[in-house]
Amino acid sequence: MTTLLIKNGHVIDPANGIDGEMDVLVADGKIAKVASGIKDKADDTIDAKGLVVTPGLIDLQVHVREPGREDKETIETASWAALAGGVTSIVAMPNTRPVADNQTVIEFVIKRARELNLINVYPTGAITKGEAGHELAEINELKNAGAVAVTDDGVDVQDEGLLRRALQYTKTCDILLMSHCEVNNLTDGGVMHEGWVSTQLGLPATPAAAEDLAVCKNLMLAQNTGARLHLLHNSTKGATEAIRAAKKAGAKNITAEVSVQHFALSDEECFGYNTNAKMYPPLRSREHIDAIIAGIKDDTFDAFTTDHAPHIEPEKLEPFIDAAFGSTGLETSFAVMNTYLVEAGHISLAKGISKMTVEPAKIVRINKGTLSVGADADIAIFDVKAKWVVDAKKSLSKGKNCVFDGKTLVGRAVKTIVGGVVKFADGRAVHTAS
Amino acid sequence: MSDATEKDLIEIRAGRDVSFFDLHSAEQITAADLDIILDVARGFRKHGTYKFAFNKGCSMVNCFFEASTRTMSSFDLSAKQLSMDTSNVGSANSSTKKGESYLDTAETLDAYNLKVIVVRAKEAGVPEVLARHVNASIINAGDGWHEHPTQGLLDVLTMLDHCGGKDLKGKTVTIVGDIMHSRVFGSLVRLLKKLGATVRVAAPETFLPAHVEKFGITMHHKVEEALAGADVVYALRVQEERGANGFIPTLREYSKMYGISKKRLDMAKPNVILMHPGPVRRDIDVHSALVSVDERSHILRQVENGMAVRKALLWLMANRMDGRKKSMVRK
Repeated sequence: MTTLLIKNGHVIDPANGIDGEMDVLVADGKIAKVASGIKDKADDTIDAKGLVVTPGLIDLQVHVREPGREDKETIETASWAALAGGVTSIVAMPNTRPVADNQTVIEFVIKRARELNLINVYPTGAITKGEAGHELAEINELKNAGAVAVTDDGVDVQDEGLLRRALQYTKTCDILLMSHCEVNNLTDGGVMHEGWVSTQLGLPATPAAAEDLAVCKNLMLAQNTGARLHLLHNSTKGATEAIRAAKKAGAKNITAEVSVQHFALSDEECFGYNTNAKMYPPLRSREHIDAIIAGIKDDTFDAFTTDHAPHIEPEKLEPFIDAAFGSTGLETSFAVMNTYLVEAGHISLAKGISKMTVEPAKIVRINKGTLSVGADADIAIFDVKAKWVVDAKKSLSKGKNCVFDGKTLVGRAVKTIVGGVVKFADGRAVHTAS
Repeated sequence: MSDATEKDLIEIRAGRDVSFFDLHSAEQITAADLDIILDVARGFRKHGTYKFAFNKGCSMVNCFFEASTRTMSSFDLSAKQLSMDTSNVGSANSSTKKGESYLDTAETLDAYNLKVIVVRAKEAGVPEVLARHVNASIINAGDGWHEHPTQGLLDVLTMLDHCGGKDLKGKTVTIVGDIMHSRVFGSLVRLLKKLGATVRVAAPETFLPAHVEKFGITMHHKVEEALAGADVVYALRVQEERGANGFIPTLREYSKMYGISKKRLDMAKPNVILMHPGPVRRDIDVHSALVSVDERSHILRQVENGMAVRKALLWLMANRMDGRKKSMVRK
């Protein structure tokens, strides 16, 4: 039996209501005990005094790019980036090449992650064949192969009739449907949020209504069908209000997330034609950010994600209009949450952690995100006071396109443990033979 | 003659320099910059096509990734009248056709040790971004729907000459047409606000970008309302090539609602001037009879002022009195 004792840390395990100084004992890759003053002898001991010990973070929205665009990212590089950020489980988006609309791609991702043995990778499948929005993919096959959800992330299902059928069908298969909410007729070539900033920059822009309308349409169809629906990366006031109203009305089948950049940064990041600030949904104006933060406080939003979207440099050196959409985020998500929500006084650290651990685990129904006795020992240890300046060039992700590049953040993963094994420590990868 | 002519300009310049090393936005132009540029431009205008030796030994490339008649020829002639060597690169004959990025094209040209690269692109932001990557001074000759600063400068020179005085306080400028897709508007409105003018725009809502009123202007759906008592009427072109299709039902209806006719121009002040950045779409933006025949039309004067303003900028930017150099931080 191999054991690991994490001593004197401030343990935050929202699932079990723990928020105080405790020790955590790990035995054979599982949580054995969480208590004060554990006296058991262990093979290894980590002194976590002054640090915060939490379940390993779970990110519901990551673009690993493999298979197909290994020049942008691989499952391996995404895993190292995740570990550097205290993230131990990721949900991989299906917009790879080929698209994960068949069980072969799902099986490949699972196999590759298992070989790497770095973090837990949960693939998703596409809703429609090729994410083309015309015919349903073989959703039951995807589920049986191991997909935790289906989504046409990045494009969305534009046809409401097809979306309704997809919801009926995912309900039949008992699998979650994740919607990227965008009405294409309204985004219409827009490359940033429509507002005073886009007018000054002279860029074609996307009205918030493009997201609002798609969210409303998705909510109505979820209520109509009773299917489990998760709304990806919400960013507008209108979306927040619609989701809040649906939850108030008693909808139990609806969950929603916010990508951390959308409560942290505004569309002003686009000044200077900064292509790292180009993403969908776009960074919004202050009134939307304020609404999103209110929605986080009252639990309209269940989870925080990154929408980690690595790209190669030339794709971001294009003119703003042509540049690729998306920012990387795995290495910065905890720090962004801690800086812009906890340090800013909006929410407690425990609440922030809960939206990055147990809540996302519930959404995709994985047995993760807690420090319950017997649970897999996926653990992150953070220095929540550490101030650092993001240097995207040093990122472990292949993508250096991080919108937080150059920003000062507070809070950093010190150690990341997966299945009881320390994989990342003090800014370095820990390579273990697997 | 030669010594006296050059001496005249040197006296007008009086050792002054502009505050910027690249010009991508009218936002960069301070009140002091405007004074220098317009003083020097008027000086050059006075001496017509006289060939100055000021910029001898300096090279410039016109890098036009989008078609142009007046801006490109005007930059080219201005440079030549300052004894510069020039070359023109267009999208049809450039390597961007072969898939080379703007950035690689600009860095290649920069390796010629150019003093100035004039850039026009159909995408907003290209000049501003290129300026961060090359040693040459970048001058924006129009980027997408964003800005066209030298057009803005020649426009305010034309207006100031007409109105007299050093600013446009108490003067009303009415801009009519496709505001959203217009880079001319983007630079003009920024300069007009610096000069204290009252700015009105008249356009259908589909031609107005979000929160455009934050420039400090008023918006009007009825053109007549915007024209009443105006000192300057500025008609913009309906930009079919930059996406105006679908924003209005037909050009015919647009012309009836917003086209500047003699009758409409009469609603402005009696000494009003009519301006247009060109190329004019006759009988759509402006009725034919007004374009060149009507004495209120200043359209050709704008073109003449364009030469003067560009010559001034090229001299001021390529030949600094203070000896300072652009410090380029490669991003």
